[in-house]
Amino acid sequence: MHLIVNGVEHEIRSDALTSLLRVLREELFVMSPKAGCEQGGCGACTVLIDGQPRRACLTPVAAIDGASVTTVEGLSDGVELAPIQQAFFDGYAAQCGFCSPGMMMAATALLAETPHASREQIMEALEGHICRCTGYVKIIAAVESVTKAGAV
Amino acid sequence: MPAPPELLTPTSPAEAAAAFGDGAGVTVLGGGTILLPELTCGRLRPARVLMVGRAGLSGIDNSNGVVRIGAATPLGELAEAPEPLATAAKHIADHEIRAVGTIGGNLCATAGDAAPRGDLQAPLLALGARVTSVGAGGEKSEDVDAFLEGGAGRLVLSIDVPGGQPFGYARLDRPHTHHYTMLAVTAVRSADGVRVAASGVGTRARRLHGVESALGGGAAPADAATHAAEGLDLPTDALASAWYREQMLPLLVQRALGQLG
Amino acid sequence: MKAVGARLPRYDGVAHVTGRTKYVADWSVQGMLACKGLRSPHHSARIVSVDTSKAEKHPGVFAVATHKDMPKNIVGHLEALGVPADEPYLAEDEVRYKGQLIGGVAAIDEATAIEALALIDVKYEVREPFLDIRKAFDPDQPQLTEKGNVFFYDPYDHRKVTKGDVDAAFEKADVIVKGSYRPSAIEQAPIEPQGCLVIPESDGRLTVHTCTQAMYFTMGVLAEHLQRAPGSIKLVGGTVGGGFGGKVDSATEPLAAVLALKARRPVRWIFTREEEMLCGSVRASWHVEIADAVTKDGWILGRKVLTLHDAGGYTRFSSYGATKHSFHLAGAYTVPALRTRAYVVWTNHVPTTAMRGFGVTSASFAVELQMTRIATMLELDPWEFRLKNANRPGDLMPTRKLLEDPSTIDTIQACAEAVGHPLSATYRDMKNEPRSGEWLPDHLRDQAANAKLGNPQGAAR
Repeated sequence: MHLIVNGVEHEIRSDALTSLLRVLREELFVMSPKAGCEQGGCGACTVLIDGQPRRACLTPVAAIDGASVTTVEGLSDGVELAPIQQAFFDGYAAQCGFCSPGMMMAATALLAETPHASREQIMEALEGHICRCTGYVKIIAAVESVTKAGAV
Repeated sequence: MPAPPELLTPTSPAEAAAAFGDGAGVTVLGGGTILLPELTCGRLRPARVLMVGRAGLSGIDNSNGVVRIGAATPLGELAEAPEPLATAAKHIADHEIRAVGTIGGNLCATAGDAAPRGDLQAPLLALGARVTSVGAGGEKSEDVDAFLEGGAGRLVLSIDVPGGQPFGYARLDRPHTHHYTMLAVTAVRSADGVRVAASGVGTRARRLHGVESALGGGAAPADAATHAAEGLDLPTDALASAWYREQMLPLLVQRALGQLG
Repeated sequence: MKAVGARLPRYDGVAHVTGRTKYVADWSVQGMLACKGLRSPHHSARIVSVDTSKAEKHPGVFAVATHKDMPKNIVGHLEALGVPADEPYLAEDEVRYKGQLIGGVAAIDEATAIEALALIDVKYEVREPFLDIRKAFDPDQPQLTEKGNVFFYDPYDHRKVTKGDVDAAFEKADVIVKGSYRPSAIEQAPIEPQGCLVIPESDGRLTVHTCTQAMYFTMGVLAEHLQRAPGSIKLVGGTVGGGFGGKVDSATEPLAAVLALKARRPVRWIFTREEEMLCGSVRASWHVEIADAVTKDGWILGRKVLTLHDAGGYTRFSSYGATKHSFHLAGAYTVPALRTRAYVVWTNHVPTTAMRGFGVTSASFAVELQMTRIATMLELDPWEFRLKNANRPGDLMPTRKLLEDPSTIDTIQACAEAVGHPLSATYRDMKNEPRSGEWLPDHLRDQAANAKLGNPQGAAR
């Protein structure tokens, strides 16, 4: 099996039904997607698979053989931040930060498809993502700030 | 270390049926929303896993006067399905889950530990849908109630859903837990009368025979609704107590019947 | 002082948004083993026997541990504060809650560890559980300890606060208003499940990566369990993925450490989401009964409170929580006479612990509902009723502490304005000042002297 993760091709050696989350974290050491529940209930593991937001904990790697996977590490070089990362930083949208990678990937997918997403559309895109720290207000505001700036 | 399961990856419905055989020792993997957590935590150690995602079992076909929905069709692609199936599907979990969870998986979902599953069973029951499946004894087509009663162990290929029927749909969500529907009632007016089915009422969705009989006997919706819980073994789970469900079910029945007009 | 009032960027902000923040499960070291804990399926049972022999021989298993492997198994979190230790970290002859830890394994991977758990044979004698704190003193209920189901705050079996002559207040009242308030247990539910990684170093020390909220606390507890010098344990904290009180019990470190020492390999144990929700400690459920002696025009003359707190199977921090609770049973209001008693009750629920506002949220929940209940019964505006009884500079708290600068009046007025609730002129113009004039009724004069009236020592029950 092969995956292209953040632009880099990898041959995958994990068992076929290993979750993408565990392949990323334990085989490839891509650590930003988190294991919040491993039941699909929290959204902390969300990554982009061929540009679409998906729960990595529910995705058997065999089902996405050959796909392109994007995580937070692929959003920028980490020095010059992508707009969604800058917005989360400037807007204090991350407190403990554990839910943030999933939130940012879901937001990235939304903004790629709907650059001027409304508040309702933002909330719908993030409705499967739980945050126990922030109360969500600053997270939604951070995504909104990117829609208003127009950049993705 | 336990041995990994054998993976079966058919690329057509015929291959899928052949690979499934009589189903002995085969676990079906659709979207993975129910199966993957069980595999990851080691609760299930299947010997053989059949992946249906690329077996030509997805899609909605309207061509023969009946709406045929492939079992592997993701919930997020049911917007054009007959109502209230489309509405019920839209309220399951969130869009990331709906993008991969399948109608077949939802139909075959067993009761969860803490909350009901299989929200589409009730609309399918009320709509008079028919399930085409393969397994021991070969291929067969039967109504949803018979399929659910027949127990697990068959591979669903497609579901035929009659379209264009007047409907009512009322549901009670538990707020703050992304759309966990604790109770939902579907009422559908068909040629043979009104069918009423509810989810969240037990290990699987059920037709509300008490309500249907009362309606058939000429009862007004409010009276028919008083028979809502007849014959049901209402559950107490993480979402609601049996008592609460018993109080709410007649109200949802009334609302659903009210939408029927 | 240029930081005060300035909007400073989070020092960890860039790491958070670039996915570089390291949480405990993001650490891995060579040779790391996976730990899984064996847990009781019963609410209450005697443990007849535990046989780990098959698990120990299972291929891929490096170590199995039970209470026999823990140098000091019973360590009290608050022993230094005089609260007796009562909880075996690994169950010995009984289990008191569903999910209680009995032992654990360290294996080459999680799947093997899970397999090995199933090979540990535990024989139980299941017992009827005690689950309803309202039956705390019922001798027909199962008793968790020889001395019953109620914690003993030497010299009483409850925490009491007594001020003034409550009986006189109840005689004088126009109306007695009673209410029962039962806030339910709440799981802290951080998105990051708790866990740790314990590395036995070649110099004999232990390095412990942990997401505990309380590093020195965990160091002390761990040192006691392992009977080693605290200096021999190096704790590496880092970013906690949410705690809210749920990561102060040092739930994972002792087992992981014992297994790491036995296996002579690093051991990582991260809770599953199920363990976090079902076995990790929670905010307690409480039962609070309030009776208030009230005048028709809305003065609270006196208050009696009975509190029952569900500690779960073991004490942990409950005695401290119920103490804090007791201080706050007048809420943000001045009640000149009160008698409160708070009982800490052991049950066969998961042991309860801290969560934000530990002990106090249950008091404010009950008090605020009671205040609205009184206002409703007396047909008074609930905002103005609160303002009337609001504490002011110069008033005494239930514990007779002098309040110098409370802000209740200003806060309620600001809230009323913010939500557009109109206040009558009297209450709109009320000043947050020491009592005088119409805000100094007879029963609020000489609060310090009156606090000593009645029977300050109180009866035992």
